[in-house]
Amino acid sequence: MAWKMDNPLYSLSDEQEQQQILKMWGEERMGGLIHPANNRLPFPLTFLIALIILTAFMLTMPIWGQRPTAAIYQTHVELMNSPEVQKLATAEEKMKYINTEAYNRAPDNALKGQLERHPIDWYDLQNLAPHIIELQKQTKYPLDNFTVLGDKVVLANFEGNFRADGVRERKQPWWDKGYTIDVFYVSYYCLWMFIMIKRLPHFSKKPVTT
Amino acid sequence: MLFKYLSAKNEDIPPGSAAIFFGFSAIFWFVVGTGLGSFNAAKLAFPDFVTGTELFAFGHMRQVHVLAVIVGWISMAFAMTMMYMTPALGNTRMWSEKLGLWTALLWNVGLSSALLSLWIGITSGREYSDFAWPFDLVILLGVIAPLCVNVIMTIAHRRTQGIYITNWFFGACTFMVGIVLLVGNSPEYFHLTGLSEAYLTWWNAHNLLGLWITPVAAAIAYYTIPKLTGNPLYSHRIGHMHFWSIVVFYSTPASHHLMSSPLPEWLKSFASVEGVLILIPAVAFVANILLTMKGKWSMFVENIEIKFSVTGVFLAIPLNMQGGFQQTRSINWFIHGTGWIVAHAHLALLGMSTFLEIAAVYFGLQQMLKRKLYSLALANFHYWFVLIGFCTYWISMTIAGLIQGAGKIYEVPYIDVVIAEHPYMIARWVGGTMVFTGNLVWLYNMWMTARVGTLVPDGRYAHELAYER
Repeated sequence: MAWKMDNPLYSLSDEQEQQQILKMWGEERMGGLIHPANNRLPFPLTFLIALIILTAFMLTMPIWGQRPTAAIYQTHVELMNSPEVQKLATAEEKMKYINTEAYNRAPDNALKGQLERHPIDWYDLQNLAPHIIELQKQTKYPLDNFTVLGDKVVLANFEGNFRADGVRERKQPWWDKGYTIDVFYVSYYCLWMFIMIKRLPHFSKKPVTT
Repeated sequence: MLFKYLSAKNEDIPPGSAAIFFGFSAIFWFVVGTGLGSFNAAKLAFPDFVTGTELFAFGHMRQVHVLAVIVGWISMAFAMTMMYMTPALGNTRMWSEKLGLWTALLWNVGLSSALLSLWIGITSGREYSDFAWPFDLVILLGVIAPLCVNVIMTIAHRRTQGIYITNWFFGACTFMVGIVLLVGNSPEYFHLTGLSEAYLTWWNAHNLLGLWITPVAAAIAYYTIPKLTGNPLYSHRIGHMHFWSIVVFYSTPASHHLMSSPLPEWLKSFASVEGVLILIPAVAFVANILLTMKGKWSMFVENIEIKFSVTGVFLAIPLNMQGGFQQTRSINWFIHGTGWIVAHAHLALLGMSTFLEIAAVYFGLQQMLKRKLYSLALANFHYWFVLIGFCTYWISMTIAGLIQGAGKIYEVPYIDVVIAEHPYMIARWVGGTMVFTGNLVWLYNMWMTARVGTLVPDGRYAHELAYER
């Protein structure tokens, strides 16, 4: 079990130990099976694994797949009792007008994207409106701290930073402690795999059969 | 014949007896499980099929199908492979053939009782753990624990210096699945409710897949492919990477099954990253096996066991691509609660896992019985019926799931979605029935192999002999 640290990218075990392992691999027959070959991790596989780790973090960020917040329907609530909407005959016509107006008034592409992904119908809007109007009267949490679930509005359970007044932010973050844990977890895995693999005989050496 | 050995001394029991018992039990439960699946699919395709009695209502029948397949077919096929591969890889015999036989007997009796109780409506109502808690205890203490002891003691008494990769998985997985069942069923033992129950239910379900079904199926391929091709496994170090990434990444993402629940968001974020990282063991496994096939690809056409094995490995690619990405917030939003998930579950259990197990049961039963397979023609019939039936099922349910997802997001009236899905429900039934038919043929083929298959001379392998039919 001697460790050799002078060239860790080559091997972490000394020559004598590598030879012992190769001799055992060469002689051993397990139910007639030859020991697995001492081939390296092919470069495309190493590349693919790096790509998977990068993809895992990039693809799962909370900014993707955001839930609708009460804030994105503020314009809808403002417009629903306006004379322009009231004069329209059907629910479909009302919603078509409101959706178009809300989209056009959205100040940035982020909100426009949210509106496209979370359409709402007239009856859900009627149910939501009183809740949103009530929430606009309070100051503890801004509207984007509330999630819309169907026809209900609930305080989101995101655990953001504490504000100066001691209240925790409930807005959907772009990074959270789950990701921080993942960074350490994946790092430990990579370190463990590096040690496991580099403790084996170097891939240029093949099992010695006698 | 096998029953006479239950009271015999361990050393008087022929090696392989427990494997044969488990092998035929597994095929029997596969026939039962897929038969129930075909019946259930008929009820979805033709709603007037068998009505008037609640025992045959879909709500009674679905769980019986799921658990007959998981605990009956898949897990017994695993036990069968462990009973012959573990000692073979240690150049020894099973630590206790007698314990193996008793485990097989208790497994069959316990499962029959549990499924009967489930059928008449005694259930915990927790998906993938639907049995009432006394049956959960029987499975843990009467089935998994003795299997684990037998496998680990056989590895400990091996006559080799090293331990082959298949046995790493067998030893670790039989231990880990015991922990999964012990902790995962705690809501039933301690009456946990609400979010704790939901989380532990999916922790249990996820890890049954992640620490039992998927890795043990892969471990089987690490034996069958090198054994049948005569090639050494391509890379020992890729094997290390597969094993450790299963332990590290497959054990952690349970909460990605509950992305819309009020679990802490940071826990979902953690689980979602881990969910994509499941692709690491997947690419390691697929690469290692396909590179092992180098120079022997003709066997993919000529050899029935390789045909099943390599098909299973190919199916691992879409399985893990789906599994890795469908749990992310943005995709889960669309497909959660739809037929897509049903299709994915069948890709895991009836696709990747089952194809690898069928190969191992074909190979193992011939070896243990010392008889050549009765009919290659019937085996090929089995292969094509299971493959075409599975693909029909998988593709139709995936399309149905996408339709349901669109219906859900755009608030299409439910009944309109039901009507749109009807053709796919019929295709699902046709596919499932093909799998069932193929399995009936398989049971006949193996039964005839045991009775009249050509005897394999000592020192030879069945696959080295020519087929007679």
